[in-house]
Amino acid sequence: MNGEIEEIRGTFKPELIPAATGGNIDDYEKALHTLMKFVGSMSSALEQVSGRGANAIVYQAGKRMGHEASKLMEKTDDLEKAMGELSEVLGQEFYFEMWKPSSQDNYTVERGDETEVKLLFMDCVVRQTLRRTGLPQKGPLCYLLYGYMVGAVEEVMDIRGKLDIDHVGPNACLKTLTIKWSGK
Amino acid sequence: MVEIVIDEDACVGCGSCVEDCPNDVYEMDEAKNKTKVVKVEDCMACLSCHEICPAQAMEHQDIHVAKRLYIDRSVKDAINRII
Ligand code: SF4
Ligand code: SF4
Repeated sequence: MNGEIEEIRGTFKPELIPAATGGNIDDYEKALHTLMKFVGSMSSALEQVSGRGANAIVYQAGKRMGHEASKLMEKTDDLEKAMGELSEVLGQEFYFEMWKPSSQDNYTVERGDETEVKLLFMDCVVRQTLRRTGLPQKGPLCYLLYGYMVGAVEEVMDIRGKLDIDHVGPNACLKTLTIKWSGK
Repeated sequence: MVEIVIDEDACVGCGSCVEDCPNDVYEMDEAKNKTKVVKVEDCMACLSCHEICPAQAMEHQDIHVAKRLYIDRSVKDAINRII
């Protein structure tokens, strides 16, 4: 065995909810980075095998997660309230805010029976994973967040939504969320 | 409110930031052949311009700095020791 690996030994009794994690920040970091590498490599393999179909698979996976994560959220028709609830669902790891260019008065833009809102994702574990594995943004993994957001919106607002990527950057990504009111 | 500081001594006038910024925050100052900030209010701090600038000539102040948990601290420490 590698001498640098520290083994944890102790007594263990059956427990319902473990009181301690049995690891420190270094262990968390290693686990996170290993997972990032696994996920990154899975994503590029998926793309290699299924081409653009990879996006659809990851999108569906994200959508399912989004529905699951927001099941217990209060249903609302109010877009701004929904955004507040969604930021709770997505948490610190997908920290976003509504964004608008200075020439626009409101965050929301109405187009027929659709409402658009621009969302600026400042923190994103997908982006971090891509950077860890040297993969470009806008690939299949970005569809995970795309699906997650759409699934969560559909669950909270009981309505059809879609998310388009406007711009990706190393520190923030801009997306447009479109809500279709007639899709209720 | 975000502020962008351009290091004019470093800027090589390539115009990459002008082309790359999705919100037209920069314009070329033709007389000086340097970039200039013309619409800071539309900067969303995506930092794409940092990635493209060959001279690392810009600094964004008072922005949300995204978490960088992908950085391997042991590698970073090793590099810091060498540098
Ligand atoms: S951070 Fe993004 S929006 Fe701001 S100036 Fe750079 S490229 Fe443009
Ligand atoms: S990308 Fe950098 S070097 Fe090129 S014009 Fe912009 S600030 Fe100057």
